[in-house]
Amino acid sequence: MRSLLAMAALRRHGARTVLAVLGVAVAAAMLLCMVMLSAGLRESFRELLLSRGFQLRLSPRGTLPFDTEATITGATEISRVLRTLPDVTTVSAVLGGQLHVERGGESITSFALGVNPAAQGDYELLSGRDALAPDAMVVNDAFLEATGVQVGDTLDVAAGYNPQLRSYSGERRLVVSGRARFLYLAAGQSAVALRIGTLQAMTGRARNDEVSLFMLRLKDGADVEAVRRWIQGHVPRVDAISTAEAMQRVDERLSYFRQLGFILGAVSLIVGFLLVTTLVTVSVNERVGEIAVMRAMGISRAHVVQQILLEGLAISLAGAVMGLGLGLVTARYLNSILSAFPGLPAAIDFFLFQPRSAWTALGLLVIVGIAAGIYPSWRAATLPIATALHEEAVA
Amino acid sequence: MTLLLGARNLRRDYQLGRGGEVVHAVRGVSLEVEQGEYVAIVGPSGSGKSSLLNLLGAIDTPDQGELTIAGRRIEKLSDRELTDFRLRNIGFVFQRFYLLPVLTARENVELPMAEAGVSRADRRARASELLRYVGLERRERHRPTQLSGGEQQRVAIARALANRPALLLADEPTGELDARTGEEIIALFERLNSDGTTLIVVTHDEGLASAARRVVHMKDGAIVHQEVSRVRAGNDDTGAVPSQK
Amino acid sequence: MLLTALPLLFALQAQVRTIAIGADLAADAGIRVGDTVVVSARPGGGTEAAGAGAEGLAGRAVDTVVVSAIVERRADPSEIARNDYRVRLHLDQLQHLIGYGDRVDRFAVGTVDSAATERALGAINDAAFGFQAYRSRDIAAETSTTFEVVSRFHRAIGVITIVASAVFLLCILLLKVEERRRDVGALRLIGLSRWTVFRSVVIEAAFVSVLGSGLGVAVGWITSAAVNAYYQAFYRTPLRFSIVTGDIVLFSVLLSLALGVVAGALAALRLVRTAPLTLIGR
Repeated sequence: MRSLLAMAALRRHGARTVLAVLGVAVAAAMLLCMVMLSAGLRESFRELLLSRGFQLRLSPRGTLPFDTEATITGATEISRVLRTLPDVTTVSAVLGGQLHVERGGESITSFALGVNPAAQGDYELLSGRDALAPDAMVVNDAFLEATGVQVGDTLDVAAGYNPQLRSYSGERRLVVSGRARFLYLAAGQSAVALRIGTLQAMTGRARNDEVSLFMLRLKDGADVEAVRRWIQGHVPRVDAISTAEAMQRVDERLSYFRQLGFILGAVSLIVGFLLVTTLVTVSVNERVGEIAVMRAMGISRAHVVQQILLEGLAISLAGAVMGLGLGLVTARYLNSILSAFPGLPAAIDFFLFQPRSAWTALGLLVIVGIAAGIYPSWRAATLPIATALHEEAVA
Repeated sequence: MTLLLGARNLRRDYQLGRGGEVVHAVRGVSLEVEQGEYVAIVGPSGSGKSSLLNLLGAIDTPDQGELTIAGRRIEKLSDRELTDFRLRNIGFVFQRFYLLPVLTARENVELPMAEAGVSRADRRARASELLRYVGLERRERHRPTQLSGGEQQRVAIARALANRPALLLADEPTGELDARTGEEIIALFERLNSDGTTLIVVTHDEGLASAARRVVHMKDGAIVHQEVSRVRAGNDDTGAVPSQK
Repeated sequence: MLLTALPLLFALQAQVRTIAIGADLAADAGIRVGDTVVVSARPGGGTEAAGAGAEGLAGRAVDTVVVSAIVERRADPSEIARNDYRVRLHLDQLQHLIGYGDRVDRFAVGTVDSAATERALGAINDAAFGFQAYRSRDIAAETSTTFEVVSRFHRAIGVITIVASAVFLLCILLLKVEERRRDVGALRLIGLSRWTVFRSVVIEAAFVSVLGSGLGVAVGWITSAAVNAYYQAFYRTPLRFSIVTGDIVLFSVLLSLALGVVAGALAALRLVRTAPLTLIGR
């Protein structure tokens, strides 16, 4: 009977109930977006870092991977040292640079990765063959589109370009052996991957045996932190960064979004709370006579409270369900805006949907719905019956 | 005859606003009502009739005095006990009916039974029976807005009888009804009393008052005199209220 | 460039060069003006104590210098999220340290006026080899993508907030107006016209909106100050993250007023379309 009364009370003023549900839905959508924002970026980045199974990254000391143009010299010696560690199964050295291709009188610049194709974690081969030969390279779709070449074509490429003199340095003739998807690059960014030795020679970095980054894959169950500490202590020219630490550093860089997510999420909850509590309070005020009669009849305070709380909860739940769809659409839209961040890997999502996010948002809204009904239900339950009836009669 | 209600020296004061005048609504009223009795309380506006009824119905607490209903000392009960006592022992009928507009006539009658834990099937059956008793068996599924004033009041009476109360209290039950409809309600009250229901009615309606066996006159918060109606001194036995105590 | 901080107290035989360091570096490393430090261009670079210009590892120089100034961070948005320390050296000093020779990354050229800028741009690009001249504003436009993205994001959030506020406002006003149905019904019964009722409800809604927006501006101003205080401390920057301008205040108040009037009008319309007897519950 209580739920029947609660639903009937909401249906009695349909327009106002619909508006309140709509208001809660918008608040719920915003809340869901913010919950997704708080967790999404972190989770998305973590998934990306672990996608190829590399748990440690070594960058020039004092920098983050590819954050600056600094390099690590003596790469071969460092690789040898790293391979002596029993927990290390794979050492992947990576050199970053640029590659220039002249097409139709224009110079097209692409991001270039020098890797060991047998032990790399930067791209997934989609078609063709990997860049196993010294004169081979794999490229992404953006490169193919920009240059108009196809897999199998041979190109003259250069590591250096002087735009004023229109002259190239570090030139080579390379074959486009395959098509790949680069995991850490921004959408639309043109990229190639070739053997690290080739890129070192083209960029003049062979002399000092320079690389930009090492990626390490460890054995299952290995103590990542112990390996990290050992490297940090024994290889002075590098900073060893675990996935957790990389995430923490990215968190710090993008902490603004997490904090924004928290603040806006809290504001959404407050708005939802105010809306529901106002609606239910007004509804109770209009039904003072009815409530007083129910109490006179012998309906207990607890049951009056339950009925009022049910009204608030019903609005919150209905709004939450509607807000779920709205939230997903909004998150997609906001994600499309933030995905345009320069340099952000295309695989990163700021708003990542996880069922946990939906449950968290729903749980919060349920709590808010119940809390919003507390004041009006307390008012209803503590009505002095005789006084309320008298005031109703006078009114 | 068994004593059903005993009130001794009841007092109730109200303060008008903060720091305002104190109104002595009920001043030392003592009253006894026997089981099966029909008592009307009459008096001018502001004489304390409704205030007294609220005290007798345990929806307001006296500032002083004692009240015993069906052997229980009412002023000693906690709020929860009081609520439960009202649910099972007292039925209320108000001037403004106070039916829940979102429920049908039958659902309104079922409401107290649902609160008392009666099963759905049983309360439906009893609600139908009560509505038949008050002559509204064809209006079960109508909402209050679809009923006339008299019909609404009859539904309210059926609701008040739902849990077989020992005592039925009515505050100006014909106050919002036209004369003809009011007579129907008076007849219904007479029938209820004939079937064994103990009634205390507050009224301005002479017809309703004259139907009572005893009329209590109040003025300025006190009982000034009581009279037993010569016409209603005896009991008629014209038919029982469905399963009434 | 990695800076190794060593508060050395030995006397220097050669003339020691001076550098300026950022206030955050000074605070974190405990360096004060007058301290002597060793700088190296090599990550994890050597700690060899030497006079100025000594060769360090693999051709990169190390240098012993004195901190002559501590510089406050600029209010530069591009530096916000980076935890880089900044050090200022004399040009030749840095060139030597990093083995640049007589090279620089760029020149910054100041001109008399915008016409002179165009003339200088053309002349430099015609005459020079090995570099290209750009207008500063063109560079700024290219490098401001990050802030454009953040601005678009903020605008989107703003729009969503406005939509939510509009729904909320409409709901609340509808509730408040409905609460007074009986009063309005009684007034209509004694002869007040629909237009009078409509007008008074809309005026009340407008008044509430203006009052509310005033309160909102105050809350916004306080929140803006709190945001700036927090993030300036967090990122150690003088940059202002949030600014409440006259335009923003005016826009907020006008928008609130518009939303309030529309919401009030819709609520009032519902009320005046209902028969007075129905309003009082007959």
